[in-house]
Amino acid sequence: MSHIALQDIAKSFGPVRVLDGCSVAVNKGTVMTLLGPSGCGKTTLLRTLAGFVEPDGGRVVVGGRDITDLPPNRRQVGYVFQSYALFPHLDVAANVAYGLRVRRVGQAETQARVRKALDLVSLSAFADRYPARLSGGQQQRVAIARALVLEPEVLLLDEPFNALDAKLRLSMQIELRKLIERVGITSIFVTHDQQEAMTLSDRVAVMRAGRIEQVGAPIDIYDRPRTAYVAAFIGRANVLPIDIRGGRVAIDPAIAAARADGAAWLVVRPENLAIENAGEGPGWHGTVAFATPQGATIEYEIAISLAEPLRVVALRKVGEPPAAVGSPVRVRAIDPAACVVLEEGPDGV
Amino acid sequence: MKKNLAPIDRIGRFVLGAVAAFSLLLLVAPSLIVVAISFEPRGFIAFPPSGLSLRWYEHVFANRQLTDSVVVSLWVSLAVAGITLALGVPAAFASVRGTFAGKAAANAFLLAPQMMPGMVIGIASLFFGAYFAFRASNAMLILALSVFCLPFVIRIAMARLAGLDPRLDEASANLGAGKLETFVRVTLPQLGPALVAAAAFTFIEAFDNVTVALFTSDVRGRPLPVELYYLVQYDSTPAIAAISALEIGLSFAIMLVLARTVGLERLGR
Repeated sequence: MSHIALQDIAKSFGPVRVLDGCSVAVNKGTVMTLLGPSGCGKTTLLRTLAGFVEPDGGRVVVGGRDITDLPPNRRQVGYVFQSYALFPHLDVAANVAYGLRVRRVGQAETQARVRKALDLVSLSAFADRYPARLSGGQQQRVAIARALVLEPEVLLLDEPFNALDAKLRLSMQIELRKLIERVGITSIFVTHDQQEAMTLSDRVAVMRAGRIEQVGAPIDIYDRPRTAYVAAFIGRANVLPIDIRGGRVAIDPAIAAARADGAAWLVVRPENLAIENAGEGPGWHGTVAFATPQGATIEYEIAISLAEPLRVVALRKVGEPPAAVGSPVRVRAIDPAACVVLEEGPDGV
Repeated sequence: MKKNLAPIDRIGRFVLGAVAAFSLLLLVAPSLIVVAISFEPRGFIAFPPSGLSLRWYEHVFANRQLTDSVVVSLWVSLAVAGITLALGVPAAFASVRGTFAGKAAANAFLLAPQMMPGMVIGIASLFFGAYFAFRASNAMLILALSVFCLPFVIRIAMARLAGLDPRLDEASANLGAGKLETFVRVTLPQLGPALVAAAAFTFIEAFDNVTVALFTSDVRGRPLPVELYYLVQYDSTPAIAAISALEIGLSFAIMLVLARTVGLERLGR
């Protein structure tokens, strides 16, 4: 049985339907990421779980208990805000102690637990600093310690890395993942960054316009996107219009597709494409439109007879120059079985 | 940086400085002159004073009618500061955080007394009191002054409240605090400086208000500004200047305390 279950959550703000029947289940001790572009409803869904938003419909169940109607201060749900929302008039120790003071925990126990929580996030030396004098990364750790010190059933994090610079972000992501594993707390992240979702989560729920589009392990979603939207959002993808005839994709080399004949879409990852010398043979024929060596790889855009160029990522050998722009080439799928055939194209075409 | 200025900029800078200096002089000079006059040893007002004497200060402190009026004014001002805080802070909350029909109208209504001359409020209070056979008294003075000063408190509290992060309230709730506890532990401490400022300004305003007090104060036990108003009509000794100097000193002391405790730059917020 799942530890957190959001069942068919609906919410409208005025005429705008922000959540349109969202259901998500998270297993105990695992990390789930709600991934989607801004405005897709992911933060609203998280705020519903914390009780800041009252849903118009649906149930919120944590640990088998229906908490839909509980006010936020009666839920055992830790929340880390995007802006961290540290109390500016309290120092770090007092910020972390806040929830314990509210619960009238004794002075000695409060001190011990605050010290332990600050140790956990390696901020013991900063206990008497005020939030204004902390860096973004330190503030984030205070916010996490402030939530964890109450030993909540669930930890919710709303874009916790947004306020950090790119360099710090990756190391904090790894740190946080280790911390969550050590504490073993069921967690839900919200992010619009697919790389972050991959680093942090056991499972990802891709959201689109108030609905859950696909849920699964990040790498499964990458390999087997169910829609063109998901394919384009998780990693990069070439989404090509194709025809299916007799259970196969009507290109060369043929790709098996257990679907009815007609128009369809083919998702091919850039690294599953290889550039060959022009000439007769299977694949797409075109010319090199753009080539950027990136160190380990070379990124190509190959102009073919479609509106969008094909994106190809090739491994680069040391000293190897990229194929010249304008030269005719042939592009073929390395592993036809890794291509995904979809009935719907981008934007539900 | 001055070296690189074009001549026209230098002239502009000079004119700006001169205007600023003149404005400051206009603001400060009357107070300085009053303080100077208060040390005049003779029995009439003269500037510059012919000597240095504390005679008129002694005179003021020996005058029961004046010292009584100071006590009345202190009590009235304290009461007004208390009442306006008690009413103004919840009102500011409602107009910043609340969502209810007619919020804009309620806002305008709450801030309206600020647009009205004090005299109008004074006369209106007098007529209102007369209608209910409620005699002009210090209770009425307190009520009328509270109406007059309420917008100050509401505006200062609103400005500060609007600047507070509503996420802090959510964070507090998430950590287990109810609404009241959140108010006491999170909102109030951050509102504190603004409330001290509001209370101080209200106190000073209530202490030296004439226009409202003239119509609503008690006939006996008049507050200081009204007492002074009558005093200048019969009497033009440097005693008036001495009282004024004392009042300037009081305001100055309050500002000094505020600057030291809250910080002047935070008062405006």
